Amino acid sequence: MNLALQDVRRNPGRFVGTSIGMSLLFTVVLAMAGIYQGLVEDATVLVRSLHADVWVVQHGTRGPFADISRLDPSMEARVAAVPGVRRARSFTYQVLQRQQGARSLRFAIVGQGWPDDRGGDLPLMAGRPLGQSHGELIADASLGLPIGATLHLGDEEYRVVGLTKQFLASSGDAILVATRSDAQLIVENLPPDAVRTERERRAERLRSTDLGRAQPSLEDLAVDPQWRPPALPSSTIAAVLVDIYGDARLNDVRRTIASWPDASVYTTPEQERLLLDGVVEKPRRQLGLFSLILVLTSSVLIAAVIYMMTLQKTHDIAVLKLMGAPATRIAAMVLQQAWLIGILAYAIAIAIGTQAFPHFPRRVVLTTLSISGVGALVVVVSTLASLLGVAYALKVDAGRALEA
Amino acid sequence: MEALVAERVSKCYGEAETRVCALNAISIRLESGKIVALLGPSGSGKSTLIKAVGLVTPPDAGNIWMQDKLVVKAGQRTANASKLRREYLGFVFQKANLIPFLTARQNVEIACEIGGDPNPRARATELLEYLGVMSRGSALPATLSGGEQQRVAIARALANRPSLILADEPTAALDKARGRAVMELFARVAHEQGAAVLVVTHDQRTLDVFDVLYQMEDGRLERWREVVPVAS
Repeated sequence: MNLALQDVRRNPGRFVGTSIGMSLLFTVVLAMAGIYQGLVEDATVLVRSLHADVWVVQHGTRGPFADISRLDPSMEARVAAVPGVRRARSFTYQVLQRQQGARSLRFAIVGQGWPDDRGGDLPLMAGRPLGQSHGELIADASLGLPIGATLHLGDEEYRVVGLTKQFLASSGDAILVATRSDAQLIVENLPPDAVRTERERRAERLRSTDLGRAQPSLEDLAVDPQWRPPALPSSTIAAVLVDIYGDARLNDVRRTIASWPDASVYTTPEQERLLLDGVVEKPRRQLGLFSLILVLTSSVLIAAVIYMMTLQKTHDIAVLKLMGAPATRIAAMVLQQAWLIGILAYAIAIAIGTQAFPHFPRRVVLTTLSISGVGALVVVVSTLASLLGVAYALKVDAGRALEA
Repeated sequence: MEALVAERVSKCYGEAETRVCALNAISIRLESGKIVALLGPSGSGKSTLIKAVGLVTPPDAGNIWMQDKLVVKAGQRTANASKLRREYLGFVFQKANLIPFLTARQNVEIACEIGGDPNPRARATELLEYLGVMSRGSALPATLSGGEQQRVAIARALANRPSLILADEPTAALDKARGRAVMELFARVAHEQGAAVLVVTHDQRTLDVFDVLYQMEDGRLERWREVVPVAS
């Protein structure tokens, strides 16, 4: 006969009430584990979705996510010329915040090389990849923009043609995907006055030269809206994504590009590790410490509850001892009660979490590993918490049963 | 056979001037199948004797045998107390002391389990029927009357087929009629089950059910007498 189960059966209110209290703490522990897993997935989803064998970034940096990387756009052509390279794609990345009417939108904008990269490899849940070199965006559904919605960014209008699901930056912000030139236009979004002034200066300088005077039509070029003012820094790219012919050539390509003075090379797993070490490490520690405090708090509370329950059963324990019950049976009763409280609390925590976590502002990912890991932790915590009660129960004098 | 033999058992508390001896070299023999009353005023050492022979509190000196097995030698237990209690002893208390979250049947069944019975459920049913409380088997202790609770407690004490049942004022919480019924039940258990039953009691009205009476005074067994059945 299981004494712990019988006690629970006859006093369900006390056990369920205690377990509900404990479940709230376990829900937070579960949320911490889920938020961490969400951070990891958010941090790596972009890198994985781009399916590059090698990332070329600015020399000496760990870019483009863990660091700032600036490469001249010519790097794309240089990399493409390396023997063994099947495809080289330019890539830009920037986190921005822009006002859209009354709403402030925060997002990471990714620029991909047109026409090689149209976003076909992205996790699209609706719509289509980019179909033209200008004016189209793929947006994450978390921004709340429907297919066909128009965004006014910089001086241009952009139409949402595709929607992704859970395609987030390591900061948790939604990702917008555009062609590289559109992304640069949006990021740079220069003040109109600076552009106009520079164009006027260029026209004046042209007029002051023999060539300008001889060919006035050249002024049209100087004031062309597509023209970029040379006084301002030229657009850079953040990285070049490289696809290689077969894994066997990866090391050769890597060695070649790494020998250049202006480039560093990372494989996709290395890029993921950099992201996790750089971007996720501190939140991970913070979440870990917070979880530790919660686990300790849970342990103390379960220990107190179990100790009180054991105190209340002092006389019953003495009677059992007087009947000759072995110490293992008495210890098992206390331990099993701690487990029952822990397991019931954890089951309630999972039920609460499953309902509540989807509404959290940051992604909370509950994996089988995190659920079973926290579950194992609950068993360990319950076991440790029961020790005080077990120690007390074992010390109860059988003679107390004879006291009136 | 003698269910219990205690020889020169002593137990003292305190030191020097505050030293009080609750048991002064007490010797007692309890025969199987006999019900024995232990009388005496409060503080005379009755409970200490029950604790000593019940292997709850070891005596300072003396030897104790249970069914010819030496279980306490010179004040030291010869084996694990829990094991010895499982093998030889059953207890009934002033209050029934049933475990509140177990039904009447479960209270007996758990004792059968602890006692090592291979079929505790069947044994519990048998005992509850024997003591006339089978109909209350599924009731929780709080819903039983005082008399019913003590019957269940006696069933529990019989679970491990003990050679000695120790009962500490088992009728103190009962009215006269129920108290007498319980004492008669103890006598029946002793005579039918063959166990020795040692009952601590103050109730002078039920002494006729006992086979032997002991009187304790200041830690000594002052006198004893064999009760001659009225019929003979």
